[in-house]
Amino acid sequence: MFQILAPDGSVNKPELVPDMETVEKLYREMVRVRYFDDRLASLAKQNKMGTYPQFGGQEASQVGSVMALKPGDYIAPMYRSAGACIAFGWEQRLAIMYFRGHPEGWRIPDHLNMLPIIIDIAAQFPHAAGVAMGLKMQGKPNVAMSWIGEGGTSQGDFHAGVNWAAATDSPAVFIIENNGWAISVPRAVQSKVDHLMRRADGYGIPGYLVDGNDVLAVHHIASKAVEDARAGKGPSLIEQMTYRIRPHTTGDDPKAYRTEDEANDFITNKAPIDRVRKFMTDQKVWDQDREAALKLEVESEFAQALEAADNAPTPDPRALLDYAMVNPAPNLLRQREILETRMKAVGL
Amino acid sequence: MTNTTATVATDKPAASAAPSSTVRTMTMAAALTDALDIALERDDKVVMYGEDVGVMGGVFRVTTGLQGKHGKARVFDTPLTEEGIIGTAIGMGAVGYKPVVELQFGGFMYAGLDQIVSHVSRYRYRSRGRWNTPMVIRFPYGGGLNLLEQHHDSPEAYLTHTPGIKVVIPSSAYDAKGLMLAAIEDPDPVVFFENIKLYRSLKEEVPTGYYTVPLGKARKVLEGDDVTIITWGAMVQTSLEAAKAAQAAGIGIDLLDMRTVSPLDLDAILESVEKTGRVVIVHEAGLTGGFGGEIAALIAEHALFSLEAPIVRVAHFDTMHSAFNPINHFSRPEPTHVADAIKKVLES
Repeated sequence: MFQILAPDGSVNKPELVPDMETVEKLYREMVRVRYFDDRLASLAKQNKMGTYPQFGGQEASQVGSVMALKPGDYIAPMYRSAGACIAFGWEQRLAIMYFRGHPEGWRIPDHLNMLPIIIDIAAQFPHAAGVAMGLKMQGKPNVAMSWIGEGGTSQGDFHAGVNWAAATDSPAVFIIENNGWAISVPRAVQSKVDHLMRRADGYGIPGYLVDGNDVLAVHHIASKAVEDARAGKGPSLIEQMTYRIRPHTTGDDPKAYRTEDEANDFITNKAPIDRVRKFMTDQKVWDQDREAALKLEVESEFAQALEAADNAPTPDPRALLDYAMVNPAPNLLRQREILETRMKAVGL
Repeated sequence: MTNTTATVATDKPAASAAPSSTVRTMTMAAALTDALDIALERDDKVVMYGEDVGVMGGVFRVTTGLQGKHGKARVFDTPLTEEGIIGTAIGMGAVGYKPVVELQFGGFMYAGLDQIVSHVSRYRYRSRGRWNTPMVIRFPYGGGLNLLEQHHDSPEAYLTHTPGIKVVIPSSAYDAKGLMLAAIEDPDPVVFFENIKLYRSLKEEVPTGYYTVPLGKARKVLEGDDVTIITWGAMVQTSLEAAKAAQAAGIGIDLLDMRTVSPLDLDAILESVEKTGRVVIVHEAGLTGGFGGEIAALIAEHALFSLEAPIVRVAHFDTMHSAFNPINHFSRPEPTHVADAIKKVLES
């Protein structure tokens, strides 16, 4: 398993450590998205948020990979990819509104090459393959990146997407975030193979096994895969070993299927944020004052985003029918009239 | 306007009730667990599998305790693939098993729809009776909880358009148990819809022993002479609320809970329509191509001259069932929408 930073913050491969500016950027981003994740879960518990699928524990896996991309690249996220999306540039205000079921949060800004968040498992992989194939056909120097859980590798769409991109030499980077659990189903139930990245051989593409809790390792391998794709060498399959420390969603209770020891062990011994902080502290580029300042910065950014989301007007019910068709068919126009009547009845 | 007294039907079939069976107050979820437990007890060819059904007992805990009681060989977790779950159920059926498989949500059925449409429905026909596909495919369906996209769909019309498939959509705990036992015994493939909200929102007395409720027999929920309401699943409660208000205002409502939309109890529909001459059809799925259209066509074919007013349908708009939780009630049928329809069908 490829690793640069050991869990205790010591360095295995000093020659591969990037400049400290990059390290700090990755660290700050992990802290930022993790704070978002924790706050959304607590808002869900207070009933101020819909059901939310936390990515806590996977911040290195998501931040390290997505930050290997450059402007003009595309991402095809799934429901647990909020960390990757925010690190890619998705405004926190919109992310909060998305998970609240507010149509404004569902609108993906024009400047952001982010495909919609996919809920059903694995469908995003063929989408990423299609984007990659199209970019190649247009001669653009860009790539598509997509994420899937280890459970998702059992779906037909996983195969359809990776094989397609491989067969067409399209510039895609496929990432398996192996967090050990598909809701309650452990990794061993999904597949007999020891490492899912071995499937890369069957597609004729490079496969990598990476410590998904080591943001430097994730970033290094993702950058290599991205640059290979950009250079016309086709797609890669990366398996990032990580852990879902949280329930599947805020509606799930893991006590029904796993011990708390497992999550506690990860939090105490393998947590991705802690090891970078230890490393930066050892390198004397980080201290408690900077940590406190970052905490304030992150909290204040989230507070502003939450306030803006809280202050957003109740969505216009017309959003229910908008975007069903570019030129609404007569059935939709009739339903629009029904909607207007219903709105009038409640004084809207 | 004929004034009739509201009567809650008591047509619970005594024929198949177990002797000296005691009753217990159960939710629909508990009644389903009870049915599955009894089926595993009665027939050793019954097996249950899917994502999270084993150790955890399903995301809605409907298979809770069954693996512990009946063993891992009969109740087990599987790789994450709807096409795999349904496709293997065909093969298991070919060698003598009766698979009762769970999909996590109705909206995830689409990932396995090819196996249903292309194979489950055709095996017997294709092999001229050599291979049957005896199975029950269960899943939660319907709106009303604050979940993510694809967790609220009502996909019955995709199945009623597919030859050879039976479709069961119970509205009460009593029916859910009896229909489940009938579905498991049925030689045809049955898709069994379990409403997410009804799982735990209703409690009623349910016999603890074995009994069945026949597939294809509607239940009269209210008896009245002025308007027929035809519905199923969660919309029975929605319609009942509107119907009770109408009854209180002196409007007689014949409320039909179809219980199964395939096979459909056309006799019950025609008997009611010939009495009232006014029809409201309520379903949670989208209007266009929804199963209400088939019911309206059957009424037009068989009882056109009994009608005193155009049929009125209440359905979801022709859009995907959105996750726009703050405004969904403008589209998903509500008691007020049914009340408007009752008014409309009486005015014309």
